[in-house]
Amino acid sequence: MRTLKTSEAATLLNVSPNTLRAWERRFGYPKPQRSAGRHRLYTHGEVAALRDALQQGLSISSAVSRAREALSTDTHTLVGALAGFELDRADSAMECALALRSVERSVEEVLLPSLDELGERFGTDSAPWAFAARWADGWLRRAQWLAPPPSRPLAILVGDATRNELDPDALGMRAFELFCGRAGARVMALPIASVAGLGDVVRSLSPDAVVIAGRYESDDDVARWAYRIRAASGQLPTALFRRTHQSANVRRAAGARVLPDTPFGAQRQLLALVDDRVDQRLAENADAPLRPAAKLPRRTAQA
Amino acid sequence: MRRLHAVRPLEVDERGLRLVSFCGHCGMPPAAGSESSGSRVCGHCGLGLVLQAPADVAPRGDEPFLVIDSTLSVCAVSARAEDLLGTDETLAVNQHIADFIVPADANAPSAENLLVLLVDAASGSGEPRTAVVRPRSEFGVRFRARIGPCGPPHAALLVLTD
Repeated sequence: MRTLKTSEAATLLNVSPNTLRAWERRFGYPKPQRSAGRHRLYTHGEVAALRDALQQGLSISSAVSRAREALSTDTHTLVGALAGFELDRADSAMECALALRSVERSVEEVLLPSLDELGERFGTDSAPWAFAARWADGWLRRAQWLAPPPSRPLAILVGDATRNELDPDALGMRAFELFCGRAGARVMALPIASVAGLGDVVRSLSPDAVVIAGRYESDDDVARWAYRIRAASGQLPTALFRRTHQSANVRRAAGARVLPDTPFGAQRQLLALVDDRVDQRLAENADAPLRPAAKLPRRTAQA
Repeated sequence: MRRLHAVRPLEVDERGLRLVSFCGHCGMPPAAGSESSGSRVCGHCGLGLVLQAPADVAPRGDEPFLVIDSTLSVCAVSARAEDLLGTDETLAVNQHIADFIVPADANAPSAENLLVLLVDAASGSGEPRTAVVRPRSEFGVRFRARIGPCGPPHAALLVLTD
């Protein structure tokens, strides 16, 4: 995916960088990502679509609307491919989406809306839905494998409270895992139903936060699972993803935060919540008196 | 020869009507030198595109106005019209004009019909006309509206006056 800096995007659109930022505030378009240094990065496809729409537009709003429409063709293509059981065409639609957008936006603006549309059209208990959901699950898993290795001192444990991979929330959870992984965190998803031996896994992962995702499992099962986590690793920041209605009790008991329903929104909010905690922990470690090098854990000594 | 730079050709439409340029959001004439930049984006507010309309239709001062296409969808709402109609251009775009402005006199003869006037203007063939209109949700308020062609591309301009 080709990206443009603010000055490059502004030049392509023949406006000033300030105008481009004003458009972002007023119209929410073009929507930039942020570089590692927090600078805006615009996708070339979005900017080019807006430039073309401006040539024929009567207002910036109508041009933005046309540009958005032009970009939504990927969603129509993906829906058509999955409704026609054409896996190659579905893969191609995602390739086209990735040419114009980041992985995060391709998933949120093309893959998940397409699956929502198919779910509404056929019902989530239908064979066409199962076909599409399995393809989407496979696509998200492939993207996870291709994600860069963890680069942050941050581990997240996801309690999978979805029914199975055909549960619509499972795709959202998979996307959330992908986005956290791409942000450099180590992510491990474990089913809420698996409680035996949970403590060993948790001690090995030493998570910085726990997210309970999905609304299928009962509050009692979730509470039992959360209790085992607490027993193994102490009180951890806990958040709920796509589990707003059922978990009033869990929320009260664990002081859990409710994350937005969109995977990227949830990822951003969780990382903001946990990064502060990790920074605090690192600062405390830095302030602590140095121990003899021989006693340091091997990984720290190498670092 | 240098003085010729200050001379701008008089812009007229196909019927010989003098055209003036204005921003589709703030209504201001284009900033000096903006023609040479080749950008249609208003140099003053940055939130509208520069449009052209016959001088006797184009907004004067801070008159509120809307731009409507031939399908009667709202394409632009000036900043003053946003205040007056209690809407936001980003929400109003692609909505039907009748969601915002309706004829004040529902029994007006067909020639005076607001929608007919707008379609004629949006096709670029209509002469500048006037009509009495009101905001859809307000009954005690009336505006005299100037309606005429604008663009590019072809659209209808509806300017609300007292």
